[in-house]
Amino acid sequence: MLRALSRSPAPVVRLLSPRTAVWVETVRGRKSRTDPKAKSKLGRIKTPPPVDPVEMVVLKERYTEYNLILRALRLEFKEQMLRKKYEEEVGSVAEERTKREEEEHRSLMALNDAENLRMHKIREQRMQKEAEAEELKKREADILRQQELENYIKEKERQILQLQEEAKDFITLDNLDQRIEEALDNPKNYNFAIDKEGRVVKRTAFQR
Amino acid sequence: MPMKGRFPIRRTLEFLQKGETVFKKSVQIMTVNYNTHGDLSEGARKFVFFNIPQIQYKNPWVQIMMFKNMTPSPFLRFYLDDGEQVLVDVEGKDHKEITNHVKMILGKSDKVLEAEALAKMELSNPANFGPKKYFLRECFSEVEGQVPHPGFVPLPKEMTGKYRAKLAAGSDE
Repeated sequence: MLRALSRSPAPVVRLLSPRTAVWVETVRGRKSRTDPKAKSKLGRIKTPPPVDPVEMVVLKERYTEYNLILRALRLEFKEQMLRKKYEEEVGSVAEERTKREEEEHRSLMALNDAENLRMHKIREQRMQKEAEAEELKKREADILRQQELENYIKEKERQILQLQEEAKDFITLDNLDQRIEEALDNPKNYNFAIDKEGRVVKRTAFQR
Repeated sequence: MPMKGRFPIRRTLEFLQKGETVFKKSVQIMTVNYNTHGDLSEGARKFVFFNIPQIQYKNPWVQIMMFKNMTPSPFLRFYLDDGEQVLVDVEGKDHKEITNHVKMILGKSDKVLEAEALAKMELSNPANFGPKKYFLRECFSEVEGQVPHPGFVPLPKEMTGKYRAKLAAGSDE
């Protein structure tokens, strides 16, 4: 019986030990393999705490029941959370959300289109106004140009007429003798002074 | 090296973080066509100068491209995930109007942003303890007013185990 026991000590002890205890003979802790045992611990014999078998049995039953209930609750809540997460990401909630977002997107795009249309209308009006203004300017420039041309022509005509008039008084070979005679007959006196306004002020007497 | 450019305030973190436009996930590319001269492009130019850095800061994964002097009138074009293109006419508009309009059509609403911020906060609970990389404190002894770790500050004699054991042994005797 001892050999059978020694082959597998675990089950025998498990009956009497608390369920959640860890079956460890030594714990390494802070010191390494080669460190010596502490002086205060040389004569220590470790004994596990005493166990009351009746109490142990009762406690085991109660603990199994308790753990069962707690585990069930925990898994229940976990499942709820997972289900909620799933719904949010993949299930009905996500579909509703995508639908809602699509609708919002469409409405916003409609808004944007309306805005664009409004800008388009404003732009059309502005272009029209600009075109009209340009037309007007062009017409005015045309008129101005024409007027300038006419003025130029008129000026030139006036000059021609004036020249023609002056040509009548020119000295030509025909009336050369006549003009010389005239000049000698009427001597002109250039001895006069002028004030700032151009009026004649003084005249000296004519001397040959 | 103190200040670079005409309005160096555009390079400050404070200015960049003031931007409110966070695009929806479906927006991939944003294109701005505008002119460098002309009264009608004035708003677009100011938008590009002041607001584009803010937008790019808040949306680092959106590609933003600027095209100059290729169009008779300025506009914005957004290219979405599913191939849809959104055209926004900005001729004659003010840069503030443009930002508000863009935020309204393609930006995440305030509620969504708040919800996201809340979710992000929930991930990192300041009450948790752990490695310094992820949490504020590793041990409760790091909190003000608590008994400090004996590794940094030696405990007073009365609190050590061996003193107490000696006292107990002495009183037993």
